[in-house]
Amino acid sequence: MTEAAQRPAGREPVEDYLDKLLLTLSGSARQVRRTLAEVEAHLHDVVADELAAGKSQAAAEEAAVARMGAVHVVSGHTAQFSRPSAALLRRTALAGSLIGGVALVAFGISGAIAWGLATVRGGSFLIAPFPPGSYTSADCARWLAGDPATHNCITAMTADHVGEIISTAIAGGILGLLTLAAHWWMRRRWQDRGTLTALPIGSAEAVGAILALLVAVGTLGQGTDLELVQRGQGAGQMFSLGIAALAAAVFFAVQLRHLALPGRRRAR
Amino acid sequence: MTSERLKGNLDMLLLAVLIAGPGHGYAIISRLRERSEGAFDLPEGTVYPALHRLEHAGLLDSTWETAAGRRRRLYRLTAAGQKSLTAEAQQWRAFSGSVALVLGG
Repeated sequence: MTEAAQRPAGREPVEDYLDKLLLTLSGSARQVRRTLAEVEAHLHDVVADELAAGKSQAAAEEAAVARMGAVHVVSGHTAQFSRPSAALLRRTALAGSLIGGVALVAFGISGAIAWGLATVRGGSFLIAPFPPGSYTSADCARWLAGDPATHNCITAMTADHVGEIISTAIAGGILGLLTLAAHWWMRRRWQDRGTLTALPIGSAEAVGAILALLVAVGTLGQGTDLELVQRGQGAGQMFSLGIAALAAAVFFAVQLRHLALPGRRRAR
Repeated sequence: MTSERLKGNLDMLLLAVLIAGPGHGYAIISRLRERSEGAFDLPEGTVYPALHRLEHAGLLDSTWETAAGRRRRLYRLTAAGQKSLTAEAQQWRAFSGSVALVLGG
């Protein structure tokens, strides 16, 4: 009678154990393959001994798995790495921190682009002044206090708004770098196959590229509309965001291409 | 011996088992169980992270061998492993001697 015929239908303790072990192992592909091969040979040796002792195939396999111990004992990780839901949460955190970090860094870069555009085409190209009647003399006094060299409320208002745009972008960029640092730290820590394969390889990059492209199209379109309809007033902010979003989309597309190239695939 | 105490000394015990000759994971854990007369009965998978760690530290090296149609990784002690074992065994004897004195045994 063959091995499979001796085993009750659906019960493959050794195969199930090796499947679970694959998800918890971390390290290079070669290290993972090697550990799997060693453990598989070990399990089959134990099964052979248990069969020689008179057990059935199914009982021998179950005894071999019990003697081997929980998968985290072999992988060296803690037991939490064996839970699929925890793996998905970790993978989602990795994807979210990558997309969010790159988005915030791109936002930071848009501040530099905005500064350049304001320098070349003036502050009102970046942001249109508030319409008359929407601000008070107290607002004017506050803006003028921030820019003593000018005596014009609209010029001071525009300079204040341009400063806000750039400083907000810088803050966003710094937050983005911190988020990417957190992403790097998590990626180094969570190298188990369960985490890395909980979502399809390249899914974070694909989602990032699509979202960045949508933002680029939307903001560049709006900037073009402002340039044509409102003689460019306020178009600069949209253009700066659009260019930065386009750069982010290119970044994600390049990362996706690296993952898709044969022999260079690496789960992120 | 509690499993925690055993974990702290597992590396030394694996090196000691390999003094007798090369072995693969199953053989190593079986030898450990036999030589301790059943006192050291760990989950057998515990041996693999320890063996890989010892190999990474240069105290063991390993090669693949094929027997009965199955590949097994055979581990052997290196010169550095032998030296490390000698040093650790000396430390252990000194430690256990001191413990015995304190316990009045």
